[in-house]
Amino acid sequence: MSKHWFWWALSMACVIWYSTIAIYVAIKGASDIRNMLARLGKDRKPEES
Amino acid sequence: MTNFNWLLDGSIVGVYLLATMIAGLMVRKYVGNVEDFLVAGREMDVYLGIASLAATEFGIVTCMYTAQNGYEKGFAGSTPGILMALAMAGVGLTGFVIKPLRDSGVITIPELLEQRFGGRIRWAAGVVIVLGGLLNMGVFLRTGGQFLVLVAGLDVRYLEIMMTVLLIGVSVYTILGGMLSVLVTDFLQFVVMSVGLILVTILILMNVGWEKLVTTVETQYGAGGFNPFVNSTMGWQYVLFNLMLNLASVLTWQTIIARVLAAKDTRTGRKVYTRTSFFFVCRFLIPGIWGIAALATLGPVANTLEAMPTFLATAVPAGLMGILIAAMLAADMSTDSSYMLTWCSVIYNDILAPLRKQPWSQRKGLFWNRTIIALIGIFLLLYGLWYPLKGDLWTYLGVTGTIYLASISVLLIACCYWRRANSWGAAASIIVSAIIPVSYLVMEQVPATAALAKSIGPYYSGIATYLLSGAAMLVGSLIKPASHVERIPANV
Repeated sequence: MSKHWFWWALSMACVIWYSTIAIYVAIKGASDIRNMLARLGKDRKPEES
Repeated sequence: MTNFNWLLDGSIVGVYLLATMIAGLMVRKYVGNVEDFLVAGREMDVYLGIASLAATEFGIVTCMYTAQNGYEKGFAGSTPGILMALAMAGVGLTGFVIKPLRDSGVITIPELLEQRFGGRIRWAAGVVIVLGGLLNMGVFLRTGGQFLVLVAGLDVRYLEIMMTVLLIGVSVYTILGGMLSVLVTDFLQFVVMSVGLILVTILILMNVGWEKLVTTVETQYGAGGFNPFVNSTMGWQYVLFNLMLNLASVLTWQTIIARVLAAKDTRTGRKVYTRTSFFFVCRFLIPGIWGIAALATLGPVANTLEAMPTFLATAVPAGLMGILIAAMLAADMSTDSSYMLTWCSVIYNDILAPLRKQPWSQRKGLFWNRTIIALIGIFLLLYGLWYPLKGDLWTYLGVTGTIYLASISVLLIACCYWRRANSWGAAASIIVSAIIPVSYLVMEQVPATAALAKSIGPYYSGIATYLLSGAAMLVGSLIKPASHVERIPANV
């Protein structure tokens, strides 16, 4: 571990960062989708012919 | 032999596929015009952008090659991921190129290039982007199928049928919902993909163990397994080539740029870049660890590309196997849908639309976009699935990618930051960046020049393409008479 600390630290950072960000993005992303669809629903115009 | 259980794992995969199709189809009613279809009405916010970008840029093909890098090069094989993360963070923090690009309000890169270099360069850039992108994407489907067949232990005869059904499903929601469906399904796919990637990595670290991974790399590759500069198959030229390649990808790869263009403003686009940057380390290192674990467990194998899925087939228990396959399907579907939509946007916006004197109505525009996506789907089936590719896949991907990336990155940087840049320089750059990689590939195949091509190597050839493409822009622009220089629009 101490000999190749860089790769150990980077690997652990990947697992921890990715786990954290996945949960955070899952929560905030769902909110982004709701807001995006609400804005599009409000502004939506009928398709031009 | 595999741990795949049809009842348990098959149900998990089935539920995931059903949920994706429902989510993708539900948002189609929000598509009112071409801008909604291609850039989601420019309403995308930061976290949706992060999920979409991460899901798009991680397909099964990515997982296979990054795991192969880990298997063949050890931890040093993750170097391209670190370089891409640095490029992504740097561009996001400074706004280099992406700020003027988003500020201009264009839908595609060639549309911006037209403002500086004229309609012909826009059209030529569109052709180069589509050719490079589609030829690159042409191999995704088969590689994805290979992974699924090996991991699930399916009969290889079903590969074509399985991937055809998957592509039809992806095409249906992409055709109906465009970028809106892509974003919503990307989000779902990001969640499923992340759960699978994290759980399998933790399982490998617990079962194989960190010490065994390190010992295996030390035994097989020595110091070169940890340091790319002393690795006999890498060296400084590998690092420099990958730095150029990744910076060019971050600036110009249309599927990445599409997230900046769909962002609700420039600040959001830059945040998406900055906050997604570390994902690109994970994108290489996590499958890299899987590849090293395959090396530690299986030992040397004839086909290094298949080592990782062969290892996972028995290392992952039932239940988790369903999550892994759903995760990989998610990765592949998000990549396929985004790529189909992206190349469609360039074909429609930069190749077909400029040929018309009168613009299409919104209804006809939507019709043509949907038709183009369907045609891209057919192309993928014919080219990538039913027609097996011959030769070295990695060289193929490198060549097709560099043809596009070298010229378009030079054109885009010059367009945004060099007032003297003009159409002569742009044309010269496009020609040079196409000639060098194709010549290298031809030299490799011709017996009389094969030895010379081998002594040059793909990395020096790649570096030369980027440098000479930039030089061509410089020389071409400077020799054009001043009276011919194009007017620079106010928003560039």
